[in-house]
Amino acid sequence: MSELFDRLGALADTLAATPILAIGLTLGAFFAGNWLFARIGRPLWLPPVLLSACLLSGVIAILAIDYQAYQRGASWLTVLLGPATVALGIPLYQQMHHIRAMWRPIAVTLPIAATLAAAYALVIAWALGATPEVLASLAPKSVTAPIAIGITEQLGGAVPLMMGGLLITGVVATLFVDMLARLLPVRDERILGFALGLNGHAIGTARAFAISHTAGAFASLGMGLTGVFTAVILPLVGSGIFNTG
Amino acid sequence: MAMLRGFLVLVLFFLLGESLRVLFALPVSGGVLGMVVITLTLMVKGSVSDDLASASQGLISVLVLLIMPGVVGVFFTADQFSGQWLAVAAALLVGTFLSVLTTLVLMKLVTVKGERHRE
Repeated sequence: MSELFDRLGALADTLAATPILAIGLTLGAFFAGNWLFARIGRPLWLPPVLLSACLLSGVIAILAIDYQAYQRGASWLTVLLGPATVALGIPLYQQMHHIRAMWRPIAVTLPIAATLAAAYALVIAWALGATPEVLASLAPKSVTAPIAIGITEQLGGAVPLMMGGLLITGVVATLFVDMLARLLPVRDERILGFALGLNGHAIGTARAFAISHTAGAFASLGMGLTGVFTAVILPLVGSGIFNTG
Repeated sequence: MAMLRGFLVLVLFFLLGESLRVLFALPVSGGVLGMVVITLTLMVKGSVSDDLASASQGLISVLVLLIMPGVVGVFFTADQFSGQWLAVAAALLVGTFLSVLTTLVLMKLVTVKGERHRE
């Protein structure tokens, strides 16, 4: 009997040593989150990514898996973020005729809105006494994850905090766009889509595709342009801001 | 097979982006550079192959899966930021509200103005 327990211990070590465990858990949580999301009636305020992340964290905590070991295993998945960022160029190309038709409003709005998306958060957090590390983690909050990871690392922020901020930003941006569209009112799907992608990155874009294909296209566009613009601007101005704190 | 061929193209453009970043000491990530270069390449070429379109669609649809390990980190490193949660929450909620408002109002103003201009 005690032999069996020894082997059970060896089994846990063997499984923990292979990245397949981390990959399996991540995939499992991904599908479980999507399933649960559909079951509870697809609420706007609780996107599948949040459900999946909570489930995954719970399983990691219950099984007492070392978080660092999990991250090492999961890096087999996250390394795909590089090619996935390149993949964003394809919808960008496919929507090029839309961009040409709306180039003037986009050219005026994008630099102002993308800069303010970072600036509002930075000023508020700074006024409430956030450290430079926290500021550097909040700065790319409206940028799509693969690009935001690169920006945060360059600015010296914490990637996990940035990811949490990104998630919350995506969810509340989706809620605020729906709310303000009714109040202002704005009914042009191109504008709604663009605002969803610019402020709410991939989560906003997923919502925009639920509105219509045109809204989704403009969200992809807003997400892509905000990503590129912020990736170029933030590290340039950032080195001055984040090192003085 | 077709999807893997498209994936190879994405990987090659990513490697090209990384090379450009290192060679020219650019502050932008290799993925973003690869995205810009592949968009320009497609614009010059004037069409996108089915392989590449399906590979990119596949990757984009699992973006959430790829960012999940990062999101999970916030639960395990939370104590690092104790005492700053008010600043973080206010920045995210109020900041995002203001930036959504700014985007909608700006886009509305400029679009309406542009359409009047044309009439």
